[in-house]
Amino acid sequence: MSDNFEPNIVAFLCNWCSYAGADLAGTSRIQYPYNIKTIRVMCTGRVNPLYVLNALQQGADGVLVSGCHPGDCHYMEGNMYARRRLGLLKDMLEFVGVDPRRFQMSWVSASEPHKWKEVVEKLVGETRELGPFEQFQRNMINW
Amino acid sequence: MVELDKLRSTAADTVSRDDVKYLLGWQKGTFGYRVSPCVVEKAEDTENLVFSPLCMSNLSTYLTLAEKLPVPKGEQPDDRKVALMVKGCDSRAVVQLLTEKGIEREQVVIIGCSCRGIVDLKKVGEKFPEPLDTVDVEWKDDKIVFKLPDGEQEVARDEVLADNCLVCQYPNPVIADVQLGDEVAPAENADDAGVKEIEDFSLEDRWEYWEKEFSKCIRCYSCRNVCPMCYCDNCVLDRLSPTWINRSVNYSENTVFNLSRAFHLMGRCIDCGECERVCPMGLPLGKLNRKLAEEVRKKYDYVAGLDPEEKPFQASYHPDDQEDFIL
Amino acid sequence: MTEKPKIGVYVCHCGINIASTVDVEEIARYAEEIPGVVVSKTYPYVCSDPGQVLIREDIENQGLNRIVVASCSPRMHEPTFRKTLKEAGLNPYYLEMANIREQCSWVHSDSEEATGKAKKMVAGAVAKARLLEPLEEKEVEAEPSALVIGAGIAGIQAALDIADAGFQVYLVEQTPSVGGRMAQLDKTFPTLDCSACILTPKMVDVASHPNIELMTYAEVEEINGFIGNFDVKVRKKARYVDVDKCTGCGDCAKECRVQRVPSEYNAGVGNRAAVYLPFPQAVPAKFTIDPEKCLYLTKGKCGKSPKCEEVCQAGAINFEQEDEIVEFRAGTIIVATGFDIFDASRRPELGYQDYDNVINALEMERLVSASGPTEGKLLIGKGEDQKEPKDIAFIKCVGSRDETVGNEYCSRVCCMYTAKLAHLVKEKIPDARVTIYYMDVRAFGKGFEEFYDRVRREGVRYVRGNPSEIYQQGDKLVVKVEDTLTATPREDEMDLVVLAVGLEPRLETKQITDLLRLSQSSDQFLMEAHPKLRPVDTSSDGVFLAGCCQGPKDIPDTVAQAKGAASSALMPLSKGMVKVEAQVSEVDESICRGCGYCVEVCPYGAIELEEVNQMGHMVQVAKVNEALCKGCGACVAACFSGAVQAKSFRDRQILPQIAVLGGLKDE
Repeated sequence: MSDNFEPNIVAFLCNWCSYAGADLAGTSRIQYPYNIKTIRVMCTGRVNPLYVLNALQQGADGVLVSGCHPGDCHYMEGNMYARRRLGLLKDMLEFVGVDPRRFQMSWVSASEPHKWKEVVEKLVGETRELGPFEQFQRNMINW
Repeated sequence: MVELDKLRSTAADTVSRDDVKYLLGWQKGTFGYRVSPCVVEKAEDTENLVFSPLCMSNLSTYLTLAEKLPVPKGEQPDDRKVALMVKGCDSRAVVQLLTEKGIEREQVVIIGCSCRGIVDLKKVGEKFPEPLDTVDVEWKDDKIVFKLPDGEQEVARDEVLADNCLVCQYPNPVIADVQLGDEVAPAENADDAGVKEIEDFSLEDRWEYWEKEFSKCIRCYSCRNVCPMCYCDNCVLDRLSPTWINRSVNYSENTVFNLSRAFHLMGRCIDCGECERVCPMGLPLGKLNRKLAEEVRKKYDYVAGLDPEEKPFQASYHPDDQEDFIL
Repeated sequence: MTEKPKIGVYVCHCGINIASTVDVEEIARYAEEIPGVVVSKTYPYVCSDPGQVLIREDIENQGLNRIVVASCSPRMHEPTFRKTLKEAGLNPYYLEMANIREQCSWVHSDSEEATGKAKKMVAGAVAKARLLEPLEEKEVEAEPSALVIGAGIAGIQAALDIADAGFQVYLVEQTPSVGGRMAQLDKTFPTLDCSACILTPKMVDVASHPNIELMTYAEVEEINGFIGNFDVKVRKKARYVDVDKCTGCGDCAKECRVQRVPSEYNAGVGNRAAVYLPFPQAVPAKFTIDPEKCLYLTKGKCGKSPKCEEVCQAGAINFEQEDEIVEFRAGTIIVATGFDIFDASRRPELGYQDYDNVINALEMERLVSASGPTEGKLLIGKGEDQKEPKDIAFIKCVGSRDETVGNEYCSRVCCMYTAKLAHLVKEKIPDARVTIYYMDVRAFGKGFEEFYDRVRREGVRYVRGNPSEIYQQGDKLVVKVEDTLTATPREDEMDLVVLAVGLEPRLETKQITDLLRLSQSSDQFLMEAHPKLRPVDTSSDGVFLAGCCQGPKDIPDTVAQAKGAASSALMPLSKGMVKVEAQVSEVDESICRGCGYCVEVCPYGAIELEEVNQMGHMVQVAKVNEALCKGCGACVAACFSGAVQAKSFRDRQILPQIAVLGGLKDE
């Protein structure tokens, strides 16, 4: 873990809650670490759990999936399916030896910009400590 | 114990039916411990059918493997039923296929055989190297009897049974049109063989273990081919547009391949153990699948392949699903 | 997708909002190097008119076919830029935006870090833009009619408004007459209007309006389809009375052998016959035979022959009548199924079940009503002991604001109807001593506070306390309560206790919610699409809510909401067309396995399995109903083989984005 290491976090945010919450953090000028890069999807139910594996393979040191609180999903139940699938994905990753702190899921509503900041800081802080993800990153192969 | 006569006569009766196309069963192989799957179309050929601790193949995988050839104009497709012989785990695969609409109940005639466990040829090979002549193997209470060319040998079941059979909770077919054999009790040792061993490792040791294993993978896709639940015509992990994983064989792509497949099988894998058996590199795939099945059972109270009317696991949710891991 | 992408990247300064933290020029230079990018510029305000003109000109002159705008959040200006593309003749869905303001320049203070991140976000947007596809904003025709379920004041008002606008309305009411709860009221607060007097003209209108097809004593059985095209099946229950012949004379009810059926209209404090008209002003004024109480229908014989048949001069009785199924198509639906009152026996300590003189507000309403069983005289006791009560108590918040019975909410109308009932008591029995036990007094509406003051001036006493028990002592009822303002316990003797019961969602509405996939709020009332900005819409397009089914409210609010729902329901009808979401899901039938996972997860029933012929074999594959699909993508994530994809959010569009943002790839 070199002192200059800055983690790269890829985040999937649902359009109606978390993306809006992150936007509100912007309008409120709430400052948080730059390490997080967001991909907008319409609903966390759209997030194929294999995206998480793909992101880790493609250079992300941490992955975040953030959506609406249960019961608030704009499409009624998408976040419920996400909750089930992604919870088990986390267990699977932990079983093969990937630190579960690298993949997090959060519920951030459109009116929770401070929570967004906390979530980002937590994830960035923890992955910074854990160091770069090299376990099955694609370019780590030495031919 | 499944009596061979009864098995063969049942098979003969079934195959003779007008509405049955063919029967899938097991027949004695051509050498050593081999038993091969066979397709029986005539009643006479049922003479070769066997049921023994060597009947490893999960015949339900052929239900979806059967190629659907284009039907010439004016003709009707042959929609007659397929009869198949299933062990406990195999029958769960049939139920899971029904849940997922992969097949329809009217399409199959299920001959269920209560099973006392299948041997792991690697473990057997260590004790009794495989001879050229064919060997008959039988269950005898809590022992397995090997009728080797130079004499009969008996071994304790626990020493040669496949890992997944040691923890089998469903030795009796959960669905069957005909039931053969007496009821077998589920394994007492409910501890998931091999899973606990890895759970006891530290995080670093776990990755060390799995990295080594995944590096061995040669991406032959035997596991996928033999798995009854992997029946997509066009596997998403093979596709180039979009490319999920590259076809290069290295531990990065291998890891994601195996993890993705295990994930797709979550809540669907019925632990027949075939994937691990056919893997030429000996990857401990059963451990990974069993771990996920255990989590699904513990956390969401769901076991795959028991109720054809149930909603598939990955297409359902409960309002009270756990969320302690969510920030 | 057959032409090579020619991407134009526009990096917005947004004045100093972006430019002060992020080096926009550097981003434009960086973007220029990305393969496929033909034009890469910055501009102070891309969303302004000149900014949009810039994009338009580049599209026309440079043949751009993909546009990336790096600026504010797409939630802000995506519609703006889509219009820009449309006006330039480019399909509006060839747009991708990179959020470098709300999620970059405004939240990261270090310029270098923010610029580095912005570069990646732009590269990710370019990676996705390359793979975007043109989408069509389809329209489907809308049937010029509406279905209104429920004919209380909400349903009636909504039906009248839509009918007056010139469209056909199918008004379905489950009881034999329209009017709902408002017909059961005597006077309404705060104006003390006679409820029936203001309601009956509307009831008559609704029955005689040329554009309204009124179906009473009918239930909605099936609803299929989607906005603009709902296929509805209604069961008209058999009245056993021929409505074309019935004159409403009432001879049958007078002679009926079964006279003591508790009248639903009178909340059980009065009786009706087995053949009945719910109330004198019922619309339609046709009699109905109750199949559960009629002797002939339940036992097969009624004396020597049924009396009603004998005396009916019009020959309208018809015991052979059967239920009739009516099917029609409607463009939009308004749910106005109303409320039930809280069952006061769920608070056993208040003695509702034990004592005759503990009654609920609806029963009180019927007693004071001139059309009620006592002709408006307030009397308690039976036969010779019948007398006027002198000590009357009202207890508020029965079944509302009460966690123990599962109703945490306030029912909104009880404070005012209690004040009204108290006033009516004083009017009928000037020397009565009326006490109202309250936790709070909510007199928030127009004229409410004034009415509350008036009632108190008339001598009605308000005691702040929540009674713990009511018991009989001699011929009086004792209300045990602590007066919290003086901190004294009291045991007040009363002749009559009226429980101000709260409003509850109607149980039968469950049938409708299941049919229409409507959600319920945590208080079990029907859920609106957005609590602030969309109070009459539901998350099902084309289905609207009016009245108390959405939440407790009084008559003016109900009428206002009904008018609002009617207006919303009219929009698709008057346009004649309904726009369908463009970013919907699509199935590749050659890959689809027909496993049905997508069908299970779709919240809108927008994807179904259909049989298709694939090379002579009949197989099932999924098919998307584009009119119903909202583009959430749940089906996509559920599909193992990737057969179903969400347009504009396909796997093959998102995966390159992940690759770029992951950082191993630069483009």
